[in-house]
Amino acid sequence: MTVTQSNSQLETVQNWLINKLAEQLSLESETINIIEPLTRYGLDSIDAVTMVGDLEDWLDLELPSTLFWDYPTIEKSSQYLAENFDLSGAINGDKTDSKPAAKTPEPVAAGKEKTGLFGRLMGR
Amino acid sequence: MKKLLQYNLAETVEKDLGNPEIPNSILSYQRVIEIDESEQFPHEEVAWLYNQKYQHYYIPENCGGKFTSFEDFVAFVRVLTRRDLTTGIAFTTMFWSFLTWMAGNDEQKRILSHYMREENGAMCLGYSEKEHGADLVGGDLTATKVEGGYLLNGEKWPINRATISGVAYILAKTNSEGGARCLSLFMVEKSKIDGNNYYNLPKILTHGIRASDMSGIGFKDCFVPDSMLIGKEGEGLEIALKGFQITRTLCSGFSHGTADTALRTTLKFAINRRLYDKNVFDLPQPRKVLSDAFLDLLICDCETISSARGFHVVPEQFSVWSAVVKYFVTVQLERMVNDISAVLGARYYFREEHDFGIFQKILRDNAIVSVFDGSTVVNLHALILQFRQLTKYRGKRNEQILNSIEDRLQTIFSLDQTLPTFAPEKLALFGRGADDVLQGLEIALHKLEELKNNSEINPEVLNHVINLGNMVLTELNEHDQLIAKSSFEYGHNQSPEMFEIAKKYCTLHTATSCLFMWLYNRQNLGDFFAQGEWLVLALHRLLRTFKPLPYTISELYESNLTQEMVKLYQDEKMFSIVPFQLAKINP
Repeated sequence: MTVTQSNSQLETVQNWLINKLAEQLSLESETINIIEPLTRYGLDSIDAVTMVGDLEDWLDLELPSTLFWDYPTIEKSSQYLAENFDLSGAINGDKTDSKPAAKTPEPVAAGKEKTGLFGRLMGR
Repeated sequence: MKKLLQYNLAETVEKDLGNPEIPNSILSYQRVIEIDESEQFPHEEVAWLYNQKYQHYYIPENCGGKFTSFEDFVAFVRVLTRRDLTTGIAFTTMFWSFLTWMAGNDEQKRILSHYMREENGAMCLGYSEKEHGADLVGGDLTATKVEGGYLLNGEKWPINRATISGVAYILAKTNSEGGARCLSLFMVEKSKIDGNNYYNLPKILTHGIRASDMSGIGFKDCFVPDSMLIGKEGEGLEIALKGFQITRTLCSGFSHGTADTALRTTLKFAINRRLYDKNVFDLPQPRKVLSDAFLDLLICDCETISSARGFHVVPEQFSVWSAVVKYFVTVQLERMVNDISAVLGARYYFREEHDFGIFQKILRDNAIVSVFDGSTVVNLHALILQFRQLTKYRGKRNEQILNSIEDRLQTIFSLDQTLPTFAPEKLALFGRGADDVLQGLEIALHKLEELKNNSEINPEVLNHVINLGNMVLTELNEHDQLIAKSSFEYGHNQSPEMFEIAKKYCTLHTATSCLFMWLYNRQNLGDFFAQGEWLVLALHRLLRTFKPLPYTISELYESNLTQEMVKLYQDEKMFSIVPFQLAKINP
């Protein structure tokens, strides 16, 4: 991985976190400073655990649920992620779209396979 | 009915204690009313429990005790609290020892185990503060690092057994900058700190459990050695929240014990009381109210017993499950006690007379269970925050996930299966959206379809169960669609509507628990259970809380339900899906 790619991944994670925080705490993203503790924006300890779940969904990685407890700013947490996880699979280096690639839940009956337990249950 | 060994302990303790209607039995109704009126801590009764060595059942086997499973434990707690919630809770503050079993080091475990077994030791939990309530991170009690230990400063209040206990678990701020890592947990052994540096706060007068030592504890430059720190500095909140997953789930045992006596004493009255030339029990309305109360106990049993067993199989899912059981069971049984109060008429209000006035005491005592250890609002809020993950996870299920859910559900719900040893290190702050019970609902429905060829099962009953089960699925799918569409915000400004949605989720969860309990125990729990009529009534009762359904689904099933209740009453057995033997009036 080149330095540029790595920086770009870091930025993508940072942007995602800024947008997530803005969206779910009803803030203007411009007002969020990456070196301020997340609690400053009203994100309490349990919300911080919840946000790890969102991040896991987006990155498709299993992360420590106390990630934002131990790295309580956007700068620190994204740095930690970039250093400890291979994000390249999840993030396209030049991807700037900060909208999470959420897996929208399909209604359960969506299963099409007719074999196995899944097929028998969901193909009903 | 198979003999389920995990209920042996409860039956033995019943025999030890004797029938509570007999005034000179330990914790008789007469005695516990006296205790309540005196508002004095039941020292003698608690000492008696220690002398029986019951404290061993709070200590895991690998720490020198006799705790084997939460299923045994819940049954044991029911036996205590069906007599007296005050004493039951006072003794059961020992379940906080799980903080040490979970996060303590070997030496701390050794010290605590010895203290409980050999010195009749008890503990209290010092988390909340007068100014901060459930906002633990907002607490003011500090632990300042000094050489070899910490100096504690501040007060914890209101704390049950704060004064009458030798160990206090104290959550203290070790980092003044705040944040989720600012707290550390200490196992403060009062015998090893300077008595001049801590003090107790006066007893708080309460509405119920009036003889409790509800007080507080304060510290002034109180030195505690490093050896009293549980886990590492900064891990306090994490340990506290995981510990709550255990104790919140176990609170359901308190509710079951008190609700059993509430029903038993009211039924006794209704059967013996003559009005309009009839027994009250023969009048249709009071009869129905009492049968519904019995049904509530069976319904809650499915949630309580499965969650107690679930701890051993899916501890990582308890950020969801503990919230469901703590909300649903405590509130449903509180409502049940309120409902049956009408059958007693004015007597429900008397502090004497019928059974020494035990009912009014239960009514007051029981009301605290849904409040302490995380209130209804706290639990529903915890669920709300996890809804999106739950919905996403359910949408992602595939063959492999469903197969493993099925395996786990079988172990959790089959009461004749041995449970793995509880692994507290697997508790997790959030369960990543996994909830085996509701995510396995289609498995239950599939199993029901397969039963269509089973000649042992009344096809009419099965049809009802299938129809009602499918309604649960429809509601769950609608729930998921609603969550997927709704906007989500972090924080404490959740809409009141979300709280109602969370309540409904708990109801669906309980309905599904009832389904699995029946499916996996038709051979284990006797004919009444196996026939499944109760299950039809249970699902109908649960679904009727949010769906327009006819008032009655089958008068015959109701009549059989009533008969079973009377039979258990006459046989002096627990009102439960596992109706174990209680102490008899004439042993």
